[in-house]
Amino acid sequence: MNKLLSLALGAACSVGCGGAWAQTPAANPMPDGSRDMYVGLGAVSAPRYEGAGSRKVSALPVLQVQWSSGFFVSGMSAGLHLGVSPTFEFGPLLAVLPGRDESGSGTGLDGIGPNAVAGLTSGPLDKSAMLMRGGTLTGIAEIGARLQGGVFANYYLTPQWRLTGNALYGSGREHDGARLQLGVQRLAASLGERHHVALSAGLTLANRNDNQTYFGVTALEASRSRFAQYAAGGGLRDAHLGLRWNWTWTPSWLLTTNVQAERLLGSAKDSPLVERPTNVTVSTAIGYRF
Amino acid sequence: MPHARRLLASIVLLLAAAPACAQLRDGEWVSYRDAYRVMVVFEKYGGPKNFLQSQLQVLPRERAGFDGLQLTLAGKSTELHLALDALGRTRLPLQKAAYDENAALVLNRKGVPFTVRPQVSIVARPDGVYDSAELRAACVQALEFARHVDAGARGRQCVGARFVFLDKGEGGVRLRREGGGEQGLPMQDAGDGMQAVLVRFGAQPGQVVTVNAPLAILPVFE
Repeated sequence: MNKLLSLALGAACSVGCGGAWAQTPAANPMPDGSRDMYVGLGAVSAPRYEGAGSRKVSALPVLQVQWSSGFFVSGMSAGLHLGVSPTFEFGPLLAVLPGRDESGSGTGLDGIGPNAVAGLTSGPLDKSAMLMRGGTLTGIAEIGARLQGGVFANYYLTPQWRLTGNALYGSGREHDGARLQLGVQRLAASLGERHHVALSAGLTLANRNDNQTYFGVTALEASRSRFAQYAAGGGLRDAHLGLRWNWTWTPSWLLTTNVQAERLLGSAKDSPLVERPTNVTVSTAIGYRF
Repeated sequence: MPHARRLLASIVLLLAAAPACAQLRDGEWVSYRDAYRVMVVFEKYGGPKNFLQSQLQVLPRERAGFDGLQLTLAGKSTELHLALDALGRTRLPLQKAAYDENAALVLNRKGVPFTVRPQVSIVARPDGVYDSAELRAACVQALEFARHVDAGARGRQCVGARFVFLDKGEGGVRLRREGGGEQGLPMQDAGDGMQAVLVRFGAQPGQVVTVNAPLAILPVFE
């Protein structure tokens, strides 16, 4: 409703989407000293890593908090609303990009990082064994979680339609990756409806350092994995579509469901790590509003 | 697998807890926080608004009269009854306690699912006489506020004001021109037993005179 229902729990995307599409909640005017908080738990079915042909189901914690000061936490991102206009939101943004290990899992969720395997696997026999284990990134170096910093800006064409954008820096192996996300959202807008559906579409651009980290294969990695060496370039990284459905049961309880389809593009799509350039992430969670 | 089992158990527990907390009937409540968030924008608006008022309007999903209908702000320690006018409008109190309690807005009549929306209107004058320049200024204030909250309103212009009356007997709007002479303006059916008179802004200054107080004076943009 109104932007409100952009109360879209941005958190629902935080794990399943690898933090890639973190969206800022709409500015939430409230009494001084108050806050609006959602916590919840659900499940997400997502590709093991971006471009993976296999999927995994994980627990999905949900967290979104907004304070009267303008600070917010939404899933894996946090920021500050600096604008005072209802039609233009902007401010600084921090986002955590989950890491990736050989099993493709996001940091900490599965809790088992087979770090030792990378150094032990080499030679034709090991390679053929690895080929049997499709869907994993055996031989590809682990990437740690990254803290990205940047800015966000949203402009409301009408109370229902908003253009969204954010630029973040700090991803990649050397913390020098950068991403720019541009999108458009159609927000649910009426006060008091039980069902709110929000639609979104967008593009992500990434620099070479970012793309090389997540889609490139170095000579060393090629020698110990089933993947050919690949140098990824910068440019258009993906296009994505999203649908979020919030079903509010009471002022406190709601069910939030999110479907995100992503199509990798450009240099990312051509990566040997990519088994399936188009992937869908589905998540659902029960949330409680404090 | 143990992860999956734990996850499933947690979801089942949450699902079991939800209905226990759901004492409110589906469609018959509105979150006070959501309503607050929309209504406070007018309070915080820094532009000219001395001719305007902002009210919360109840919109029943099915036809329902507002006779005897009240909106109740209900929270853990809050219970406030808000009378609705014949258009289903009330002034929403902006209370930190109710916000923090995540209170609900409910109607005093069961079985009336509803939604709400903010409505900005022009304040009625006690003497029923509106200078046309003042009426135009009020409309401009309303348009500026509309542009403040909706960039899509930037292409619109003020063209008049609509006076809404409960029924025909109460109506009656006359246009008094500056040079002399009065002209009665035609009534239009506004639905739900309401009548409305559209006053279009003209080049000639004058006054708009109402016989009885209107229920609402709404700015008209085109």
